[in-house]
Amino acid sequence: MTLVCEGAGVRIGAKQLLAAASVQLRPGRVTAILGPNGAGKSTLLSLLSGQRQPTEGRVLLEGRPLQAHGAAALALRRAVMPQESSVAFDFTAREIVALGRFPHRRTPSADEDAIVAEAMALTDVAALAPRILNTLSGGEKARVHLARALAQIWHPPADGAERWLLLDEPTAALDLAHQHAAMRLLREWAARGVGVVAVLHDLNLARRYADEAIVLGATTGLRQGPVAEVLQPALIEEVWSMPCEQVERADGTVQYLFG
Amino acid sequence: MDAKHEPALDCARLPRRRALGLLAASAGALAWPAAQAQAGKAPRLVTVSGAITEVAYLLGAESQLVGTDTTSLYPAAARSTPKVGYMRQLSAEGLLSLKPDAVIATTEAGPPVVLDLVRSAGVKVELVEADHTWDEVQRKVQAVGRAAGREAQARELQARLDADWAAARKQVAAAGGRKPRVLFVLSHSASPQVSGGRTAANAVIGFAGGVNALSGFDGYRPMTAEAMASAAPDIILTSGQSIEAHGGVEKFWARPELALTPAYRKRALVTLDALLLLGFGPRMPQAVRETHEKFVALLA
Amino acid sequence: MRNRWSPRAVLGGGALLLALAFVAAAASGAYAISPAQLLRVFGALLTGGDDASPEYLVFANIRLPRLILGIAAGAGLGMAGTLMQGLFRNPLADPGLIGISSGAALAAGVTIVLGAAFLPAVPRTLGSWPLVSMAFAGGFLVTLLIYGLSQSEGGTRMALMLLAGIAINALAGAGLGYLSVVATDEQLRSLQFWLLGSLGGARWSAVALVGAVVFVACAMAMTLAGPLNAIALGESQAALLGVDVERVKRRAVVVTAFAVGAVTATTGIIGFIGLIAPHWVRMAAGPDHRVVLPASGLLGAALVLAADAVARTVVAPAELPLGVLTAAIGVPMFLLMLRHFRSRV
Repeated sequence: MTLVCEGAGVRIGAKQLLAAASVQLRPGRVTAILGPNGAGKSTLLSLLSGQRQPTEGRVLLEGRPLQAHGAAALALRRAVMPQESSVAFDFTAREIVALGRFPHRRTPSADEDAIVAEAMALTDVAALAPRILNTLSGGEKARVHLARALAQIWHPPADGAERWLLLDEPTAALDLAHQHAAMRLLREWAARGVGVVAVLHDLNLARRYADEAIVLGATTGLRQGPVAEVLQPALIEEVWSMPCEQVERADGTVQYLFG
Repeated sequence: MDAKHEPALDCARLPRRRALGLLAASAGALAWPAAQAQAGKAPRLVTVSGAITEVAYLLGAESQLVGTDTTSLYPAAARSTPKVGYMRQLSAEGLLSLKPDAVIATTEAGPPVVLDLVRSAGVKVELVEADHTWDEVQRKVQAVGRAAGREAQARELQARLDADWAAARKQVAAAGGRKPRVLFVLSHSASPQVSGGRTAANAVIGFAGGVNALSGFDGYRPMTAEAMASAAPDIILTSGQSIEAHGGVEKFWARPELALTPAYRKRALVTLDALLLLGFGPRMPQAVRETHEKFVALLA
Repeated sequence: MRNRWSPRAVLGGGALLLALAFVAAAASGAYAISPAQLLRVFGALLTGGDDASPEYLVFANIRLPRLILGIAAGAGLGMAGTLMQGLFRNPLADPGLIGISSGAALAAGVTIVLGAAFLPAVPRTLGSWPLVSMAFAGGFLVTLLIYGLSQSEGGTRMALMLLAGIAINALAGAGLGYLSVVATDEQLRSLQFWLLGSLGGARWSAVALVGAVVFVACAMAMTLAGPLNAIALGESQAALLGVDVERVKRRAVVVTAFAVGAVTATTGIIGFIGLIAPHWVRMAAGPDHRVVLPASGLLGAALVLAADAVARTVVAPAELPLGVLTAAIGVPMFLLMLRHFRSRV
């Protein structure tokens, strides 16, 4: 049921990309991975997705190492939205989203076309379907890749296994309205049982939409816990070296002021 | 005598009925030249190699020539016959489109698969071995005579040429004296090459009363200054085309490799047209005589 | 917004183009065969009947094997070009990048120029088995070398393959340069003809072999179509979609080595087909490899047939080397491609 890192770290030569980390992730919630640049957020995400192998420790999904599951089996229930991606050739946005269904080519659903269309509608790129991806703006491209990730794990697997959605800075290129729309979307999917893990750089988005936070700090090490407990101004000030004040809106949402 | 070749009709690959059909057709087509000859028509010829074309003209068979290759440049009329391409890259369909009865070439012609295809279409393909002897010239005369149906003229020509040849050999032998060390340089397109044993040039040097300054290897090698210096030729023999390719005699002598040779000091150079000199055709006696006379003049 | 042809239209159009090219090529040649005679010959071929006419002989023994070889060559080169472009994720890639052409050329050069010392009586012209075998072996070995040089801890690195390819190709070029210098005039001419390519070495045994290899290669290539689409997203993204990227690379290199190797060994170097056929298809139909792979095969075959028809007729009874014509089409197309890329937003 869980996605777990047991002392997993990555070292390349003399450089420690990620100090040994132990995290436990459960589906049905949104977990935000936070930290300053170079803290190892993307590295941690790539360990969780199986993109990278740990040089120490191990990463387990439902008790078995990720590698033991096999790439094809993982692709049926785990989707990754990359931070950036260069797409070769003039594929249309629709074709890119349709590639998200590639892992299901042996056992297609009855509604493959509908999945692609609905995924694109969810991220507000339906109108861009016939456009060539490489001609779109950064934000439009990001939403297309998000739609692709959603399409990949659209239906729950037949064996009842949990689905995972891993995103690396999904909101980085998006404009304000789309940032919030995307985060709301992620909450909805988490509510339906998907395990959502997102590397975020915006603390306010994380505080508002995530259930759990993993903070990677140089001096504080790794902290994991409910977002309200972990993201205390004192910790934020130490990890990000920025004075931080917490404010609360009338409806109870907490946000941070910096500087 | 023929170079090794693979069967053109790979019957195993074709369905049996078609293979039988093709065999029957080949047999039928073999009747082609025979039928022609019977009908009294003169056989149509394609000659590949300059010397063989020359023979055809000397036998009076030029009206029978339907095609020649790109090395067939003498006499001048040969240049305006249809050209079947370079002798090593012939086209089967191209040859057959001229509807020849016979193709006469040296064993250097190719590709072999093309010659096989032409043969299997019922065309007589005569290949003459090029071994750089007077025999070679005789074989060419005989081959063309046979193919053109002019055996009588061929015998006549052969007798004439034999006499000519004997006279030329006698002239060379009679001159006596020291045999000059001669080195042949070929430089039509690529970098200059010099010839060792088993080459046409080597044979001609010998016939003309000289000695090949290069020994110890066969075929052609690139010209190097050291090789030239140790060979120490008295005379440089080359083709007109090589001089042209250099842009004239002065530029030819300007080559650094030649500067260390005895020939350079006296500018001892003998130049002949490439086809005349190396073609081993009916003008061979003339070529040997001319070369010999030039040697003698330079040594005097 | 671009109007793209549907897959059906592209494949249908490609097949039609090939059929037209086949008919045109079947009807052209130095040897005059009238349309009526051609129909009669086709009839005899299809029914297996007897036909002793010279037209039948010329067509069945000389022209038809060339046509079949042309189709195999064009299909193999077009399809391999698509594979390489998908693998390198670059529309300017072509099979020559991984050394098949230069390896085959070097081996051919060695056979033609140095082979005289070892096997004097054996013919070393286009279509002879010693030359064909050496060229195939040379191409294959060089590709193997380049593939080996591109291995690193994480698997095959395409950037390494590109660099290794550039280096080894340059080395092979130097080798060919040396051979050109020590070659006699005749050997040089033979080598030049080989380097310019020709379908003149076509005889049924060779054609059947090349045809079989290309057919199997095309079938295997089709299994790579979907994965190559995923690889367009990037190798790591493709792996996250469950693609065994290492296996795709290996298979693509092997398929290309066999197909292009077999073709090049028999025909010499035929350039540009692997570069332009996939590009034209993509311009019409978009980059989906499931369409581009088969369509490039069809278009490549049509191009080779058309170029060969011109090669065989324009200086009849002699022949132009095929590579001259594919370059004549290919270079202007290449320049147009560059213009197209430059002017894109």
